Amino acid sequence: MMLRLILVVLLAAGCCALAWRMWVATGRISKAWVTRRLVPLVVAGVGVCGLVLSWSNGDPFAFAHLNGIGAMTQGASWRSALLLQSVAFLAAGLWLISGPASRRLPRWGLLLLPIPVIGGLLLDRNYGPAAWAAIMVGVLLALALATFFPVVAADLATVGLVAVGLIGIVSAANSPSVPLPSVFVAVPGGQVSQAFGAVSPKLALLAAVEGAVVLAFGLWLVPRTIGPHAMALLRLEPDAELAGRVEQLTQTRADAVDTAAAELRRVERDLHDGAQARLVALGMNLRAAERLIPTSPQAAMALVAEARESSAKALTELRDLVRGVHPPVLADRGLADAVRALALDTPIRTETDIDLPGRLDPPVESACYFAVAEALANAVKHSGARLVQIRIRHSPDPGAPRADSWSFAPSASGLLRLEVTDDGVGGADPSRGTGLQGVERRLATFDGILAVNSPPGGPTMIIMEVPCVLSSLRTSSC
Amino acid sequence: MRAVVAEDLFLLRDGLVRLLEAHDVEVEAAVDSAPGLLQALLDHRPDVAVVDVRLPPSFTDDGLRAALDARRQVPGLPVLILSQYVEQLYARELLADQAGGVGYLLKDRVFNDDQFVDAVRTVAGGGTVMDPEVVAKLLGRRARDEPITRLSAREREVLELMAEGRSNSAIAQRLFITEKAVGKHSTSIFAKLDLAPSTDDNRRVLAVLAFLNT
Repeated sequence: MMLRLILVVLLAAGCCALAWRMWVATGRISKAWVTRRLVPLVVAGVGVCGLVLSWSNGDPFAFAHLNGIGAMTQGASWRSALLLQSVAFLAAGLWLISGPASRRLPRWGLLLLPIPVIGGLLLDRNYGPAAWAAIMVGVLLALALATFFPVVAADLATVGLVAVGLIGIVSAANSPSVPLPSVFVAVPGGQVSQAFGAVSPKLALLAAVEGAVVLAFGLWLVPRTIGPHAMALLRLEPDAELAGRVEQLTQTRADAVDTAAAELRRVERDLHDGAQARLVALGMNLRAAERLIPTSPQAAMALVAEARESSAKALTELRDLVRGVHPPVLADRGLADAVRALALDTPIRTETDIDLPGRLDPPVESACYFAVAEALANAVKHSGARLVQIRIRHSPDPGAPRADSWSFAPSASGLLRLEVTDDGVGGADPSRGTGLQGVERRLATFDGILAVNSPPGGPTMIIMEVPCVLSSLRTSSC
Repeated sequence: MRAVVAEDLFLLRDGLVRLLEAHDVEVEAAVDSAPGLLQALLDHRPDVAVVDVRLPPSFTDDGLRAALDARRQVPGLPVLILSQYVEQLYARELLADQAGGVGYLLKDRVFNDDQFVDAVRTVAGGGTVMDPEVVAKLLGRRARDEPITRLSAREREVLELMAEGRSNSAIAQRLFITEKAVGKHSTSIFAKLDLAPSTDDNRRVLAVLAFLNT
């Protein structure tokens, strides 16, 4: 029985994988379509089927028994379990469907799926009040663990999912009276036949699909959570996180050095071709005027006037150069007022919503300023927007969820978030222009990230996040 | 006319003092730091203060902040800010109390001493003087905004020169029109910007404010 079951499962899995490969290869469906649409729909569909079945098979108020724990009956308990699991599946499916934008759940969100699944299994037994109290305490402990040790919680959740799947398969194999491998609604021992003897094979089929999904989810999580940790713990391979971090730091350091060198070259060239050249011309003019004074004072005066103009132009050029290196208003007032000044100088209407109660480190401040300046310049040049909105916030919370919540980058005790949104035509592609790439590299030096969301037709939203701390409170009286 | 000068670089401070004195402006104090400036302004109550934005101790915008401080204690104290660069943000802060008697110029403008001293006198008289660069930036930005759009092209030119702190006769000269025509344009500007009748000087300041704050 066991062997037959395993063979059937393996065969089915192989067929599915082969079919998928062929479909993807023929180009009829994209891989993205499968992962973003089909899989979530299957998961959600399992949840819906479970809900329908739990309501159509007998007692429609089975869920009410969840509240009256002591009054739980044998017959209603499996329906309660099924109901709970189905809701979990439905929620997971909807969560997946809702797209990457909302997939910012912290790591412990993984616990949401296994908790009802395990809880559902537990509900299948008639426990006394003491046991239930113990279970509740366990759930609370799990939540606390998830809050304070999210990495450990994720690892445990993975183990839990895999274990539950295996237990289900074993117990299904031990129950010859069940027509199909019913994994999840199944419970060890004779209760299985009692429960499923009374219900249709549809329920058993559903249970099989459910089981497969949960087990697959658990196995999918293994290399992403507990796998590398276990390997690192056993010293079987170098710490992948650490190696990745070293590689990233090497890359960003090289970028930072390159950027600084290029910047110095630009300053040197601008000085050489601009102010320096003008000063040379100035000196020559003055010398010529000196010679002309005794003979033709009129011509001398014209030359002196020219020299004055030349010095004014040199000053203008120096001013532009200084602004490009480090804007004086940034040095004077910090990021918030510098961005406000930038907004005032922008030819399209620009609204600012900035809340920064202190100053940032000068290098971070400068990088963020030029990042916003670049985003604004892009909006002006390419978007055709009529309104640009800039929003800057700093959250001191050390556990603030990052967009790439899988990364283990050391987080400073705070996160600066900058958003530049315009109502233009959209379609901005950071891989085409060098400007935003430069910004991305510059922010990466501070472990910052940049994301561009710009669908054709707009709007364009550029989001930058930089881990950093705010220093002393602003003392300005203005 | 009595003035206080604040500039931390000795050469520039010396040059400013000599320039002002050559034009019959009496310099009562020439200071080199923000605390010194505040003290001198409160002690001397001059007709005008000529102040560098960047001053010790922190070498940021201490000069501006000291001047704004002084204006809070002595409302309407005329202040002309000099800077190596101009920011609309600072222009707005200077204009925020709507009392007039403020100026904001690039340091380069001292090259033309006649115009510079004119600006000093305008500010001392309660007028508003904005650097042409500030005005140019505003024009680039405010092209579509109400209520400035109600103005005709000529009226905009007049308002622009008004913001730079020029008198009616100077505006007439610049635009090659009669002084009477300038008067007519400014009446029309005041009407279009909904400025209630009051003294002409005050309305000029308010018109410039409307221009800067739209």
